[in-house]
Amino acid sequence: MPVPEPGSPSVQAGAERSRGSLQLRHVDAGSCNGCELEIASIFSPVYDAERFGIRLEASPRHADGLLVTGPVTHNMAGPLRKTLEAVPNPRVVIAVGDCARDCGVFKGAYGVAGSVADVVPVDVEIPGCPPHPAAIITALRGVAGT
Amino acid sequence: MSSDLLVVAAVLGLLAAAAGAAAPAKLRAGLTVLLTVGACGCGFAAAAEVLRTGHTAVVETTRVMPFSGFSLGLDPLGALFVGVAAVVGACAMIFRLGYGSHGLSSRTASSNLPLFVTTLLLVPAASNVTTFLYLWELMALSSLVLVLTDHRSRAEVQVAGQWYAVMTQLGAAAILIALVLLATRTGSQSFTAMAARAEHISTFVRDGVFLLAFAGFASKAGAVPVHVWLPRAHPEAPGPVSALMSAAMVNLGVYGIVRVGDGLLGGGPAWWWLLVMTVGALSALFGSLHSATSTDLKRLLAYSTTDNVGLMLLGVGASGLFAATGHRALALVALAAALLHVVFHAVFKGSLFLSAGSVQQATGTRDLDSLGGLLRRMPLSAPVFMVGGLAIAALPPLCGFVSEWLLLQAMLHGLPSTNSAIAIAMPIGVGALALTGGLTAATFVKAIGIGLLGQPRTEAAVSAEEVPASMVTGAGVLAALCLVLGVAPFLVIPAVLAAARTATGITVPDPLSRGWNLGLTGVHGELAPGLLAGGLVLAIGLAAGARRLAQAAAVRRTEAWGCGRELQTARMEYTATSFAEPLIRVFDDVLRPAQDLDVSHTAESRYYVESATFHTSLDDGFERRFYQPVASGLRWWGALARRLPNGSVHRYLAFGLVALVVVLVVVA
Repeated sequence: MPVPEPGSPSVQAGAERSRGSLQLRHVDAGSCNGCELEIASIFSPVYDAERFGIRLEASPRHADGLLVTGPVTHNMAGPLRKTLEAVPNPRVVIAVGDCARDCGVFKGAYGVAGSVADVVPVDVEIPGCPPHPAAIITALRGVAGT
Repeated sequence: MSSDLLVVAAVLGLLAAAAGAAAPAKLRAGLTVLLTVGACGCGFAAAAEVLRTGHTAVVETTRVMPFSGFSLGLDPLGALFVGVAAVVGACAMIFRLGYGSHGLSSRTASSNLPLFVTTLLLVPAASNVTTFLYLWELMALSSLVLVLTDHRSRAEVQVAGQWYAVMTQLGAAAILIALVLLATRTGSQSFTAMAARAEHISTFVRDGVFLLAFAGFASKAGAVPVHVWLPRAHPEAPGPVSALMSAAMVNLGVYGIVRVGDGLLGGGPAWWWLLVMTVGALSALFGSLHSATSTDLKRLLAYSTTDNVGLMLLGVGASGLFAATGHRALALVALAAALLHVVFHAVFKGSLFLSAGSVQQATGTRDLDSLGGLLRRMPLSAPVFMVGGLAIAALPPLCGFVSEWLLLQAMLHGLPSTNSAIAIAMPIGVGALALTGGLTAATFVKAIGIGLLGQPRTEAAVSAEEVPASMVTGAGVLAALCLVLGVAPFLVIPAVLAAARTATGITVPDPLSRGWNLGLTGVHGELAPGLLAGGLVLAIGLAAGARRLAQAAAVRRTEAWGCGRELQTARMEYTATSFAEPLIRVFDDVLRPAQDLDVSHTAESRYYVESATFHTSLDDGFERRFYQPVASGLRWWGALARRLPNGSVHRYLAFGLVALVVVLVVVA
């Protein structure tokens, strides 16, 4: 599956609206928590993503998009759809890590429903197992337009 | 005119009772309901006539009870209670048409129900001791038969019947002694003659008469501590019967206290009324606390009856206290507030008990924890219950607000007083009223929120269907009255004032204005229920309009954010038990709940729980700490006495000899 570049139409629409500010709701759809560690580290003093206007939100109602990690398990497919449904339009879905892109090492496992793109439309994909914090920040800056 | 109507009401009621006993099964319900509603109509017309003109309607005959004479004299005080009983009676009878469950269609029940309604119409009109006691007993017995309607299918009904029979007969005995004592001392058994001569009898006898009558009537009213029959009998009785008992019969207890205390004895010392206020405040608090913690829908309503009777007694007591200390206008206002609460309580409690009967018929259960989701399944009965619930929680623009406001005003305006009894009693009364109001609101948030809203908790609630139109009508008329009387209390204020004047004999100029605005003249205090309702309608209209305007732009509607969870089952819902838990915890020392947590561990390790059962129950403290010891004491005494007659002739001869010796010793 081709990786949409941070410049595709829907991403641009999102960037237009949220220039300089990107509020994201994180959804762990079945991750091994490797990606979570890297996401946590981008908000650390070392990388400090907040200086680019990127923040994590508690409620999808307040978010501009979703930050999804892990292969989507059967139990999390419904909640993922519901969370996306709760995000106001226009919105972006960012799949973080190889598992989110194509199930990675969990491909074909009995509990896995598919990649994030199999469940909800994905706008941005960030490769890596796990992706480097700098890669995550680069991708998110592309969406935020900062 | 009005005396003829009273006779017609009595005759129609008796005809209905006869029809219930004799008519074939198909016609029975229709015929009894038609005749009884006719009787209620005549009773209401007679009461309205008396209240309008202020003339007493007199019916006297010696053909029915030759020695004493059957004597009715409907004055404005009695007429108010007759009017209330007529409205509740008619609605309950219409409701009864569709009420299929329970054995109300049997001959016994069909003839006793009209008889009960008729006695409710006639008791407040009785004007001599014999007539009064005769009708009073007839009312007690016919209602006892009706409570026992389902005694074959459920054991609790028998227990409830026993409690009711014992308490009501003890009360009737106290009333009998009080009235007979008063009649012998005044030399007449006519109420008017007794009232005229009651001043001249000794203080000691007057006190005795009042205390006995108060105890007897309080047991009928369901006031603490003689309320124990009420939370048992009211829930077990069939729907229309519990409505009649709770909305019309308990009123007569209050009527009796006002009639004897204010009417026959012509008022009394301050301590009588402080006692009445104390009982009232205790009943209000105890009743509201227990209704807030009950999970049985009808038991909750029954305790709330105790609570409301407490408020009425608070008003009656405050009125007597004001009269005893010379505040005549305030005495009239306080009694008017109490009587207004009688009227309004009948209206909302009637609609609540009738719609609770509908819920029971539709689901087969009264347990709030097995209900839920009824608003969608019973789109007419559930709103009726909600209106009644909001009215009893004293929310404007419904009627409960008006009477509680007036009661509060009456008590507050007594406050800058030099009399120490008033200075102590009134703040306590106001506090009791305030706490009761809060607890009642919590109670009905629970009853409505858990019983009617949310998801159905059991199969019975899932398959509930709307009840027949007659049942909805019976309860709906009363619910509509909650709104009408709440917005336009001036419809009943003159009647209530006339009744209060008759009871107390106070002739000050009207202390209440009679227009759209309810104001106290002479003191600052005014309530505009019409404006309040209008403002509310306007505010709701504006809010709805603003919402429409805001939604003019395209909006995407999604379900409420629930953290992505997929299942929302009835098991996740708040239950009535858990709703009441914090209250039970706060009032732990008063309620003393029995709680038991049983945890069993697995055989391998005591760190792993195999099963855990939690059991909690809440019984009536008075029943446990007072009535049960008394009952077991009596049982012990009875068992002891049973040992005396053992069948031996020698022993009986010995008893005779001992008795003879004792008599001789005493006489000599």
